[in-house]
Amino acid sequence: MKKLAYINDKAYEIKEGETILSFIRRQLGADYVPTLCDAPNLEPFGSCRVCSVEVVRSGNGHPKTVASCHTPIEEGLQIYPDSPAIQTLRRNIIELVLTDHPLDCLTCAANGDCELQTVAAKVGIRQVRYPQGRNHLDRERDDSHPYMTSNLSKCINCYRCVRACDEVQGELVLSMAGRGFDNRIIKSMDTTYAESECVSCGACSQACPTDAISDVFSMAALNATDTVRTVCTYCGVGCNLEVSKRDNQVLSIKAPYDAEVNHGHTCLKGRYAFRFYNHPDRLRSPMIRRNGKLEEASWEEAYDYIATRLSDIKAKHGPDAIGGISSARCTNEENYLMQKFIRAVIGTNNIDGCARVCHAPTALGMQRTFGTGAATNSIEDLKHTECIMLIGANPTAGHPVTGAKIKQQVMKGKTLIVIDPRKIPLTRYAKYHLQLRPGTNVAVLNMMLYYIVSEGLEDKSFIANRTEGYEDFRKHILAQNIDELEAICGVDRKLVREAAIAYASAGAAMSFHGLGVTEHFQGTYGVMLIADLAMITGNIGRKGVGVNPLRGQNNVQGMADMGVQPHLGPGYLDVNDSAVRQLYEDIYGVPVPEAPGLKVPDMLKASREGKLKALWIMGEDVIQTEPNTNNVRTALESLEFFVVQELFHSDTTEYADVILPASSFFEKSGTFTNGERRIQRVNRVIEPLAGTKPDGQIVVDIMNRMGYPQPDYDPAQLLEEEISQVVPFFKGVRWDRLGENGLQWPVAEDGSDTKILHTTTFKIGKGRFHFKEFEESRELLENADQFPLILTTNRGLEHYNSGSMTRRTSNPRILSEDVLLLHPQDARKRNIDDGEIVTLRSPRGSITLRAKISEVVKPGVVSTTFHFPENYVNNITSSVYDADAKCPEYKVVAVDIEKLAVSS
Amino acid sequence: MSKNLSALSGRQGLHNNLFERLGQLSEPTGAPEKEDLQKLADEFLVGSANVYGAATFYDFTRPENKGKKIYVCNGSACLAAGTQDKLRANLSTHFSEEEIGEMCCLGRCHENSAFHYQGHNYSGENMARLEQVIAREPGCDGRDKYRVASRGRAILSGPALTPAACSQVVETLLAQDPENLLASIRTSGLRGRGGAGFPSYFKMDACRKAPGDTKFIVCNADEGDPGSFSDRYLLEQQPLLVLAGLMIAGYVVGAAYGVIYIRAEYPESVDIIEKAVADMKSQGLLGEGIKGSHFNFDIKVIKARGAYICGEETALLASIEGQRPEVRVRPPYPAQSGLFGKPTVVNNVETLANLPYILTQGGEAYAAMGTPKSTGTKLISLDSSFRNPGVYEVSMGTPLSVVIEELGGGFHREVKALHIGGPLGGLVPVQKIPDLTVDFESFAQNGFMLGHASIIGIPEEFPMIAYLEHLFAFTAHESCGKCFPCRLGSVRGQELLHKAQTESYQVDPVLFNDLLTTLEKGSLCALGGGIPLPVRNALQYFAEELSPYFQGSRQAASKPANAI
Repeated sequence: MKKLAYINDKAYEIKEGETILSFIRRQLGADYVPTLCDAPNLEPFGSCRVCSVEVVRSGNGHPKTVASCHTPIEEGLQIYPDSPAIQTLRRNIIELVLTDHPLDCLTCAANGDCELQTVAAKVGIRQVRYPQGRNHLDRERDDSHPYMTSNLSKCINCYRCVRACDEVQGELVLSMAGRGFDNRIIKSMDTTYAESECVSCGACSQACPTDAISDVFSMAALNATDTVRTVCTYCGVGCNLEVSKRDNQVLSIKAPYDAEVNHGHTCLKGRYAFRFYNHPDRLRSPMIRRNGKLEEASWEEAYDYIATRLSDIKAKHGPDAIGGISSARCTNEENYLMQKFIRAVIGTNNIDGCARVCHAPTALGMQRTFGTGAATNSIEDLKHTECIMLIGANPTAGHPVTGAKIKQQVMKGKTLIVIDPRKIPLTRYAKYHLQLRPGTNVAVLNMMLYYIVSEGLEDKSFIANRTEGYEDFRKHILAQNIDELEAICGVDRKLVREAAIAYASAGAAMSFHGLGVTEHFQGTYGVMLIADLAMITGNIGRKGVGVNPLRGQNNVQGMADMGVQPHLGPGYLDVNDSAVRQLYEDIYGVPVPEAPGLKVPDMLKASREGKLKALWIMGEDVIQTEPNTNNVRTALESLEFFVVQELFHSDTTEYADVILPASSFFEKSGTFTNGERRIQRVNRVIEPLAGTKPDGQIVVDIMNRMGYPQPDYDPAQLLEEEISQVVPFFKGVRWDRLGENGLQWPVAEDGSDTKILHTTTFKIGKGRFHFKEFEESRELLENADQFPLILTTNRGLEHYNSGSMTRRTSNPRILSEDVLLLHPQDARKRNIDDGEIVTLRSPRGSITLRAKISEVVKPGVVSTTFHFPENYVNNITSSVYDADAKCPEYKVVAVDIEKLAVSS
Repeated sequence: MSKNLSALSGRQGLHNNLFERLGQLSEPTGAPEKEDLQKLADEFLVGSANVYGAATFYDFTRPENKGKKIYVCNGSACLAAGTQDKLRANLSTHFSEEEIGEMCCLGRCHENSAFHYQGHNYSGENMARLEQVIAREPGCDGRDKYRVASRGRAILSGPALTPAACSQVVETLLAQDPENLLASIRTSGLRGRGGAGFPSYFKMDACRKAPGDTKFIVCNADEGDPGSFSDRYLLEQQPLLVLAGLMIAGYVVGAAYGVIYIRAEYPESVDIIEKAVADMKSQGLLGEGIKGSHFNFDIKVIKARGAYICGEETALLASIEGQRPEVRVRPPYPAQSGLFGKPTVVNNVETLANLPYILTQGGEAYAAMGTPKSTGTKLISLDSSFRNPGVYEVSMGTPLSVVIEELGGGFHREVKALHIGGPLGGLVPVQKIPDLTVDFESFAQNGFMLGHASIIGIPEEFPMIAYLEHLFAFTAHESCGKCFPCRLGSVRGQELLHKAQTESYQVDPVLFNDLLTTLEKGSLCALGGGIPLPVRNALQYFAEELSPYFQGSRQAASKPANAI
């Protein structure tokens, strides 16, 4: 039986649990009922009362006025959303609002984009009848912040900013002070944006219906001629962005409310750090090194030169003397083309990408245990989980929108287990913080497994039905020496036991991990043990569970999916398998190489050894991002020929023989796959900057130049004609089908997608338990005596990796340098004061940094970010790699600190 | 109202209570220091803006309160009695203007000249001996006296419940099945005495049925209505009756914790209730497994910090949580999601004080009193305009004239109207007194409101326009500021009436009516929504007196020269 309610005496079907407002909007359109305090991503609040309607309950003829935003719909309810009384009420409320609002619409920055203005027009205000009374028109503007601004004389007290800061970002920086008529928005304890604890996410600015809280770009947005929806490149969350443009200029960015990934939210990088795109530093012409100097050249010259040099090297040294490094910042289609270029045109499997330095162990570890190297679940599962385990990740800085979502759940009382050597911001809300010594994830995870087994908390039926290798695994787990492990990781066993019990006893427990798991000597094993934990407790294959890597770059997932790995082609198909090669050859029309190629560190090594002669890098500054900088420099110096596609000059382009100026993501289309396997459309916002080309087109051009016919870069066509034919889990992916919110792979032929993996079976049939005991990193075994501190690297919210983009925005005004965090105890021992410049030494070299004394780290541990290239943090990082996935161990570096010697 | 803040505050709960800590920080100087607020915010993880925002809300924690030494009552009864100008003048011989604050109201409506000094309230004669008060001379503790009497059965105003009798009540309670007791409360027909008259059974039943192990029962002892002091009577003279009622309600709804939120303007009430709670504890009537049963119950006394809006239940709950006490939308109702997001029933003091009777005598006995729809008895407080000011208990349905004449002894000064049921109650012209009986229905049918049943006499010579301005000013001062109609409308109403009295300005009656309708229909809670009732009563019954202040009047020129 349909349940009905009536709007103006006409019957409509109701939905259980909806409000009168959502009911009316569903039937008569979003703008039918005017509102001011309502916002799509906020809870009903009921302050403005403009959404009031008259209702008559069945069996009671008396009309009652209710606010539709927070009154639930009822069967049989008769609603009069625009009766004369309601029209009068709305007009009279707005009239009151206007008694305390500057009547300067024509000169107001928000003119034309002001909800108060729209609503006032809609309700038909002709004049304000009240004599002039007390008002708040003299409040001062706040222009203290590089992005956020406020002008609270225009505030209508709808609380949308306060609620956005609370309900969306969870930062609690904004509130109201005072009472009644004198209520006013405050930042922290009534200070400025710059002085407050604001994290510049801009949720308040987007939420504000007037010009009271705004940002430096929003005024410009009023001149926009168009908006384009695309996907952010600043992390693997994959926030959708709504970009306002005019005359080939990006004006401002908002987060679309209907985005399934970010629901109207994003962070300061996504929202504000876009001005790099037309920065004067952008490369605008190809460059060729002539007589040792880089000189501008035409595209034709550059292509000819490259084609000749590569062909020569290939002829002389064979295809395996050439390597390519693709980019997780680029689109799926570009990555696909890059690997195709290296495999089909050059003829080698020497193709790898920047994921080598981040999530390669995740892909490998999850492939070994589950058969699929990708997040098992979706971020929306946070709503359904009971326990969140966060290992080696600092999502409020690295993945801010996911971080905010985790925070929302945890603030409301969900159990959070943080396993991290640092007191990351989320630990404030966590029930358990296992503050382990860097590099001992395997020890802690094994302890947790030990307690789950010894407490009998395993999910026996899941183990029996879905996994193999458990008996052997169990024996190893129980045979471990807990005393030893406790001493190794430095975490009280009681705490580990409690956390293990919490994880195992939750109805649904979900783990998230980041580079604090992977960038280790035992990175792959760390990932496998996380997978073991999920399997042993049956936390796989349903809502609110799983193993969920937080991908660092926007397309780490997609890059691997597209075959940017030396042993696996597109779709993770083994290049050693002749049937697979046949598949590729059918599509490519040329033979593909069989022998697995070199991983990035191996390429660099091969170059130093003179075996790799030519290298092509698509968008990575390896000098800055690879460990042990001096080794990298030597490798690049040793190359005979080196091509780099880039947005900006970098330390790496200094070594290039040819630099090809690429277009930024605003200037091209394609797809990115986010950390939850969601393939989303990237739409070109503006034309490529004069002189630049999209990376994909560059690769296509060179393929053609080298004799391989490849059609021009067209992502839709490439998806349909090649990628969906090669990559099994992309079978049903078509440009049009992806729609606004994308699809999560595997996508079946009919276009249906997959939110949760492994629901009934694993790709490899049964999940495989693997035991691995803790092993100390060589870095510490060899160097800890002379270098007693452990450096672990991490990221700040305001900058992205080596900062080539974010440093070319106003973000450095918020975070201007990398600092070294050290515990007060270590500072005292070395007589170091807060703010002092110190020398940080490792066996590889030394750098100088400003010291910040902090209890974020434990005694014996120091940490720093690496966003400011001038510091060359990687001068001191080690050459220890994950044994299997070859991911560098950035997270454990033996160091010591001393005061900077003052020359007398 | 933030779910996050509720949950974060709820992590520490009532043992380490954010609001209580905030209040304590304000005690040394009248307002907390920012660095202390920052520490508090860090400890509770709620963000400094929220702690600061909350502190700036309350009369006695906000920065303006710093340095205040003595507070003058600015409630309606003292205003109508006209005692406060003289009091202020007296005080200013001892204190500077900056040191004199205001409080509304101290519940000394029977004596007036009320003021608050160093945690004690004073009224009546004390004004004349300020030196002794300031010197805290013995016998100068400000204790007041008022008549307490009943007509018919006294279930609230009889001899105070003794500790032994209280223990007896607890034993009777523990022998009862909560379901049966709830049924008995239903039978009793008991309706909330805070003003709304909502059947008590419904809230208790909803809370009892709500899922969850942790539930709360909260006693709303924030008797903020100027003119009423019947809850104060119960808190101070019947503390065990109130606390036993709280415990009974907790037992019925399945709450192991009772909170009693007492307004700061009643310092004696706080002391007396705290002592009574301590006595109950020492008697073994509180704690785990009371009297060998499986019932655990403890009581937390929370001292409010000066905000009328906290009498509204959602604001009160937000206040206990340390949030800004702003009214929250419903649903969810507190019975589903209340204190710290847990199922909660909020009951008024008098409502709870009725429960021991229902427990021991049964719902039917209770329902036998009063009228079929308004059962039981009602306490009425009479202010100093009566010959016998005080607190009286009458059966519901008793003629108002009987209360006034027989109990109150009639008026000792000429009165033109009665303000009944607090600032949001109706203004009853004296000629309407014979039409009214003391019950919810009679008042509603006649266009008034029984409310909490306090009665203030408006003297014949007191200008009605000034009284209405006072009501708007009160609303403007106490509005939480969340909803647009109340935040703006209360100020504009006050401004219009002020301008009409002080300038050659007449209010546009259409505009004024629009304002009242906007408040009535548009406000989120009963504060903004309620203020038009007395104003409309006045416009109806005192049209002639008020007409000079409104456009279209024939008597435009006849505003009194001494208009305020």
